[in-house]
Amino acid sequence: MIPLWLIPLFPLIGSIVLALIALASSESKKGADEGLVGFIGVLFPALAFVATAILAANMPESGFREVIGSWIDIQVFSADFGFLFDGLSRTMLLFITGIATLIILYSTGYMHGDRGFARFFAYMNLFLFSMTVLVLSDSLPLTFLGWEGVGLCSYLLIGFWNKDIKNCKAANKAFIVNRVGDVGFLLGMLALVSVGGSSLLSYPELAAWLVDPKMGEALIAGMPLLSLAGLLFFFGCTGKSAQIPLLTWLPDAMAGPTPVSALIHAATMVTAGVYLLARLSPLFAILPDVLMVVTIVGAATAFWAAVAGLLQNDIKKVLAYSTISQLGYMFMAAGVAAFDVSIFHVFTHAFFKAALFLGAGAVMHSLAGEQDMRKMGGLVHKTPVTAIVMLFAYLAIIGFPLFSGFFSKDLILERLYMSAPVSGPILYGIALLTAVITAVYMTRLMILTFLGKYRGNICESKIHEAPLSMTFPMVVLAIGAAFAGYFWVVLGQGTNCFATWLSPVLKVPQTIAHIGAESVEGPSAMVFAALGTFAAIIGVFIAWKLYAKRVPAPKGDTTPTGSAADWTFFFDKLHNVCGVLPTRFCSWFLDAVINKLVMFIQWFFGALALILGDGIRSFQVRKIRMQMGLSFAGMILVVIVVALCGGSF
Amino acid sequence: MELQAMYIQVLALILLIIGLATVLSRRNVFFILMGIELALNAVNLSIIGFSKTFAAAASVTGQIIPLFTIAVAAAEACVGLAVIILIVRNQHSVDIDNYSNMRG
Repeated sequence: MIPLWLIPLFPLIGSIVLALIALASSESKKGADEGLVGFIGVLFPALAFVATAILAANMPESGFREVIGSWIDIQVFSADFGFLFDGLSRTMLLFITGIATLIILYSTGYMHGDRGFARFFAYMNLFLFSMTVLVLSDSLPLTFLGWEGVGLCSYLLIGFWNKDIKNCKAANKAFIVNRVGDVGFLLGMLALVSVGGSSLLSYPELAAWLVDPKMGEALIAGMPLLSLAGLLFFFGCTGKSAQIPLLTWLPDAMAGPTPVSALIHAATMVTAGVYLLARLSPLFAILPDVLMVVTIVGAATAFWAAVAGLLQNDIKKVLAYSTISQLGYMFMAAGVAAFDVSIFHVFTHAFFKAALFLGAGAVMHSLAGEQDMRKMGGLVHKTPVTAIVMLFAYLAIIGFPLFSGFFSKDLILERLYMSAPVSGPILYGIALLTAVITAVYMTRLMILTFLGKYRGNICESKIHEAPLSMTFPMVVLAIGAAFAGYFWVVLGQGTNCFATWLSPVLKVPQTIAHIGAESVEGPSAMVFAALGTFAAIIGVFIAWKLYAKRVPAPKGDTTPTGSAADWTFFFDKLHNVCGVLPTRFCSWFLDAVINKLVMFIQWFFGALALILGDGIRSFQVRKIRMQMGLSFAGMILVVIVVALCGGSF
Repeated sequence: MELQAMYIQVLALILLIIGLATVLSRRNVFFILMGIELALNAVNLSIIGFSKTFAAAASVTGQIIPLFTIAVAAAEACVGLAVIILIVRNQHSVDIDNYSNMRG
């Protein structure tokens, strides 16, 4: 059996080698050899995928743990470098390394001719390293390390084209907003440690502690702190997974190269929040109030982002809002303690959203970087492969029957309905409405991009299909987008692959969370499936009526205007009011009052010392005999004092 | 007439004060050195005087210590003179008030 640390090691080696190549070739005019860099860049993620696959095939049912060494070992706190490979991390790692390999292969075509070719692949490998550490770690501190690592790589890659100040600003925004969420993660760890010591930071020990009957009293006493920890962890997740209130960075993150958007901001990094919820499911299972918050936030985000996605003209922005909306679905599912379903949606979403982004990238590639959908159209004749890939992914995301999104979204809707007698159907309604809007904006994207007449101003003979290195990963992902859903379907002898994989990790928490909940008699699964399909078809129909004939004229930039802008940038404004203004006020206060006070104290004592020094200095300089006289006088004084006090002074 | 121990101490004190007064009042660096030597020998005298006051065992120590001190003082005087000669060569002056390099 190969050791676990090989999985993160491969991308780490890749990133180091590529970074050295990038440094070595930074002086040369031509840059590093693209063939070599691309080969190394793809090789190490592929090796990581192979290692994961071998480990996944030989994994024992309950998973296993591997401790490499001690990381922090002090009296009050200890943490190990330990990796945990079980049903959850196996599933996550398989699709993370697999999709990462495909997207990096795609990047070799997409980034062709870019000056920072080697740098890009170094960052991508570093990202994969951080992501595997995040998923594979067996304790919260190490997960936090990966969490920060992916944040860093996200920052580096959003601002990859750093010649443009807009990209740098977007990168800064993503980084800073993520830091706000990270505060929640850190404080959550602190709350856990203060409840039951640093051993609680390790996932298996946390799960064991929470169900330990001997700890019953400590558990009840620590309940407020545990709830706080749950909320804080969820706050961290909202930062990383772009949920309300920390969601504004993700649309701006589209400033990065498209493969980055596909890998980091659609398939893997943004789902880290969902992963964390599932990983901490033993904790969340006993906190129904926190789960309620998760559900409400998820529902609000899903709906808000879907409407905002409706108003975008930039093809990547539409997909960004769609990602936020789908993440909202995942959080809704996690909120009703259907962690396995939320991970399943992460899994299918990774395929179809990556395919959509890669398709969008291929479209931009063929149109010389054009992102405005109003200047596209009729591309189905020019780029048929891209169109078919996008079609598959599109059918998956709107939940068309028998495509992957259909299964996962349908399951989420079903679990939402079943979760509670009254709130369940309400949530179901919101989610179904969101599904309709999803179908509308995705259909709008497809119509504006591929149907009708070409509306741009590039000579039509120059529009070309992407090279094979780009189309191949797209096709693979499209196949995944079509068929990934069948992992859930009951195959053969009544076993459900995906749920069986996850059940050693998630079964207990989900059972605990549902203890005491009233069981809801819902209609049969076929009714839900029919309703979901109906929602998708209605959405497509509405979009067809709205956009097929009436194409908006391409003018101005792609940002929405008027009330659409109000809706889209609502949370930006909210952040300004809630975050930026108080910070500005605090810094003004510090500058105007506290700083002045400190300066006054400093000047006061400084001036005092100066004046005293000037006075005393006149005794000090240039008068050697006088100094000697003074020292004799002092000595005599001491003698007299000692003589008078009899030495007892 | 028996020599009173007190008189020796008074003489030592007078010598010490003369030495210190020389150090403080003279500007010529050689006189200052001489003043220091005088004060040092006053202390020797004081120790010998005390050796008469105390019991016999301690008194021998009191006689011996000044011998050592004189030997060490001789060496010290050599070094001190050498230093002073160097300073005088360097500064072209024997006036101690001219030696200060401090500003202000």
